[in-house]
Amino acid sequence: MGCGRVGSTLARDLAGEGHAVTIVDISRRAFERLGEGFTGQVVLGSGTDQEVLEQAGASDADCFISVTNGDNRNIMSAQIAREIFSIPRVMTRIYDPIRAKVYREIGLYTYCPTEIGAAIARTFFAAGAEEADRPLRAIAPAGVPAGA
Amino acid sequence: MPDGPAYIIVIGAGKVGFYLTRHLLQSGYEVALIEKDPTRASLVAAQLGTGSCLVGDGDEMAFLATSGIERADVVAAVTGDDEDNLVACQLAKRQFHVPKTVARVNNPRNVQLFHQLGVDVAVSATELILGVIETGLASHGDVLEISISGSESSLVRVTVPVGPATGRQMSEIAELAHERVLLLVRDGREMPLDTPLETGDQIVMFTARPVSDFSLEAPSLAAIGVR
Repeated sequence: MGCGRVGSTLARDLAGEGHAVTIVDISRRAFERLGEGFTGQVVLGSGTDQEVLEQAGASDADCFISVTNGDNRNIMSAQIAREIFSIPRVMTRIYDPIRAKVYREIGLYTYCPTEIGAAIARTFFAAGAEEADRPLRAIAPAGVPAGA
Repeated sequence: MPDGPAYIIVIGAGKVGFYLTRHLLQSGYEVALIEKDPTRASLVAAQLGTGSCLVGDGDEMAFLATSGIERADVVAAVTGDDEDNLVACQLAKRQFHVPKTVARVNNPRNVQLFHQLGVDVAVSATELILGVIETGLASHGDVLEISISGSESSLVRVTVPVGPATGRQMSEIAELAHERVLLLVRDGREMPLDTPLETGDQIVMFTARPVSDFSLEAPSLAAIGVR
């Protein structure tokens, strides 16, 4: 849910690997970020609307990821995915570290770009680029320089 | 209820939040109204004539902590966005142990969801209005307006009084031709829109104007004999 930079990149990658991907956004123009040849499905509508999620196939989904630019929208849609559609794997993005902590405590898998960004910058400050890149190399090799 | 008046926090100083707060203050409650838009907040604070409007984000925990939320008896989240109301109630409940949380629900399908996610009371204006229309309990000669969130539009329900409109079709009343009439309801039943009007009929229409403008100046209301 959310066809911004993160959502569109993720949807394109997963669809390219052969997964059945549906991406939801309230703006038709957002889908342009997917580029040519996107093999997944797009659904226009609000991801906090149960009918839209139904239409997007939430009843049969194995995994749900909410990455719109609104923390509360992500939180609400993730809870709909979990509680209403019983999707087994649900992940949400929450920029506000305090809210992230609250929803982690109730068992939502939450990633907080603010915490991650600050942690990387802190590592860079204390130990330099090599150290800061180390954890990223494992999960996001495209985002760091090759080698080493 | 503990000593003294109950302490109520209202989140969102739109029309619902404003009138709710004013009413609660008049009833003698201690109220804090929280609004994130500073311009709106200062306008509302001036109208309420008290220091009871705080500028801040009702979903921001650090801010909520400064509002005395841990001693609140009730938190009512009444913004036009369901996701904001849900999160405000969940934070109030989980982090600050507020005994009673009330959320305004804009999409009626969310009522059940909100209960499931721990909100004590979820109120949907759409459901309430539908209930009134369906049971035909409306009083006579009144106008009821619902603003449609995120837009300048509203939904208006008018009960036809004894007056110039009775016996005429809506299409014969020039001023009504500008409005998008959605429903004509008589005795709880939907009628064809070309049925001649009778006293007590209810007309539900959509208008591209905000609520306050509509009741003040709508010529269609005058034509029906309401104003």
